[in-house]
Amino acid sequence: MFDKVDIQTLRSNVESINALPTVPSTLRRISIVMEKPNVGLDELGRLISNDPALTAKILRMINSAAYGFPGRISSVSHATMLLGLSVIKGLLIGVSVFELMEKTMIGLWEHSMGCTVAARMIAQKKGLKEPEEVSICGLLHDIGKTVLMLQYHDAYDKAMQEAEKKGITIHEAEAGYFMASHADVGHWLVQKWNFPLNLVETIRYHHHPNLSRQARMETAIVHVADVIVRAKGLGYPGDHVVPAVHPGAWEMLNLAENDICDILINLEDAASSTRESI
Amino acid sequence: MRQGSILVLSPNSAITDSLKKALIKSGELTVISHLHSAFDYIYNHIPDLLIMDLQGDSEGIGLLNSLKEDPLFANLSVLVLLGEEDQNPDWETLHVEDYIWRKDLEKDICMRVELCFSRSNRMVEVNPLTRLPGNISINRQIQYRLDKGIPFALAYADLDHFKPFNDKYGFSRGDEVIKITGRLMLNIVRNKSLTNSFIGHIGGDDFVCMMDPSFIEEACQEVIDAFDRIVPSFYDPQDRESGSIQSCSREGHARQYPIMGISIGIVRVENGMYSHFGEVTSVASEMKHIAKKNVKSGYAVNRRRPDPIPETGTG
Repeated sequence: MFDKVDIQTLRSNVESINALPTVPSTLRRISIVMEKPNVGLDELGRLISNDPALTAKILRMINSAAYGFPGRISSVSHATMLLGLSVIKGLLIGVSVFELMEKTMIGLWEHSMGCTVAARMIAQKKGLKEPEEVSICGLLHDIGKTVLMLQYHDAYDKAMQEAEKKGITIHEAEAGYFMASHADVGHWLVQKWNFPLNLVETIRYHHHPNLSRQARMETAIVHVADVIVRAKGLGYPGDHVVPAVHPGAWEMLNLAENDICDILINLEDAASSTRESI
Repeated sequence: MRQGSILVLSPNSAITDSLKKALIKSGELTVISHLHSAFDYIYNHIPDLLIMDLQGDSEGIGLLNSLKEDPLFANLSVLVLLGEEDQNPDWETLHVEDYIWRKDLEKDICMRVELCFSRSNRMVEVNPLTRLPGNISINRQIQYRLDKGIPFALAYADLDHFKPFNDKYGFSRGDEVIKITGRLMLNIVRNKSLTNSFIGHIGGDDFVCMMDPSFIEEACQEVIDAFDRIVPSFYDPQDRESGSIQSCSREGHARQYPIMGISIGIVRVENGMYSHFGEVTSVASEMKHIAKKNVKSGYAVNRRRPDPIPETGTG
């Protein structure tokens, strides 16, 4: 039997994290962008919103007490306008790369990118005012997996192997190795980092969208986006299972068949451009 | 080196003599040996720098602290001379900017004085919320451009329906909106033109920025767009959805107010149109009133030429 870390230790280890590492392709793009003499906020914004680690870093900074409006900003374009060029450049200098489990990380990165696209499209189809904010929820929903891989790579590797062997989801397999799921872990971290409530709730409840109170629509969107991206086989979220969609979330979104087709076509395009960048 | 007025307070003539010699080029020096007459001098003349020989004098410390508690004297730099007997001074109860050991006096005093002057030069009065420079710097910056004949444009911005927002959600949320407004103006203006640009916070929800006239309208439009996109995040979800809040009018009646906007008045200043900063700010203020007539966020520009061609009745 695997010896689990007790929940307090787990939580304090998670909350002590200062920065999340990214994938090598992102780091390469950072160095290209930083060498340009006249790089603009738009370009930096695009770079940042294509990477969960960079997005988390920027949102953490703008929601910190130093700027004086914690828990308000959940969009990368707003954050870049408020932080300004010199602060963002300074933040990008300190980005590091995952040394371990690189392949898994790239798979997770692709899965997250897929969820970003799918979440944005569903939000647009549902007429939400800020589809970008919902796409960020998709981008960051599995941030807890990155955290667990970073802090407990051996145990997480075993959990993934077990998911593979038994044909269960990584979310189910995690229970055998950790006192909390990646959803809890992501929730602890973004709560500690003063992220806005819609992000906190979508990360926390993306496997149980019925439990969300403050961001029910966004959580349902991320939940459904996650399943669609898994069904499409885009990226690697830690297992190869396509779980059932929660009926409440499905009803709430009430997507037509065309909508799903539309999303799948767009995911195809996103997948090929993602592969190019890697 | 910047010249400034320095007051030296020390009963020890060996010290005052060596200071006189060392600081001959540093500024206009006044030496007073008696504590009470020194403070009498300070209240009447307000020097730029006070060099004070403490010698464990508790009355001196008390007088100094009560002086520094008055905001009027907050900008007076104090450099304290310490001896062997003052090994661990309590900085919480000794309100000074810097110190120097008596034994290092000859070696270090010139550099310390220079540093004190340059530090207080760098410090401008800033608004505690936004950390942007306030009215004194704003006026000085306008006047500097006018005196040098530098063409510039000034934008004067304030928020629409800020008061009902503040009344409904409380002033700390109002402060958050003030802070994002300052950040947006700062980043957008600096992004457009880093050199010659200036952003100041008059107070409340009033801001000023100055920049190259060719970029001003573009920059203001960007500020407006960014503000309109971000400000809904500061409303509660149901108010954001409905697009308005219920709050009290100045007369105390309940009424509906739309989501906040930002109105900006712009003045272009070219070749000797104005000579005093007050003229520029008053035209900007007029323009802002015109911009405010529009229900939504927007700006209005003063396009009057410096020497208007007189309109004639004959046509």
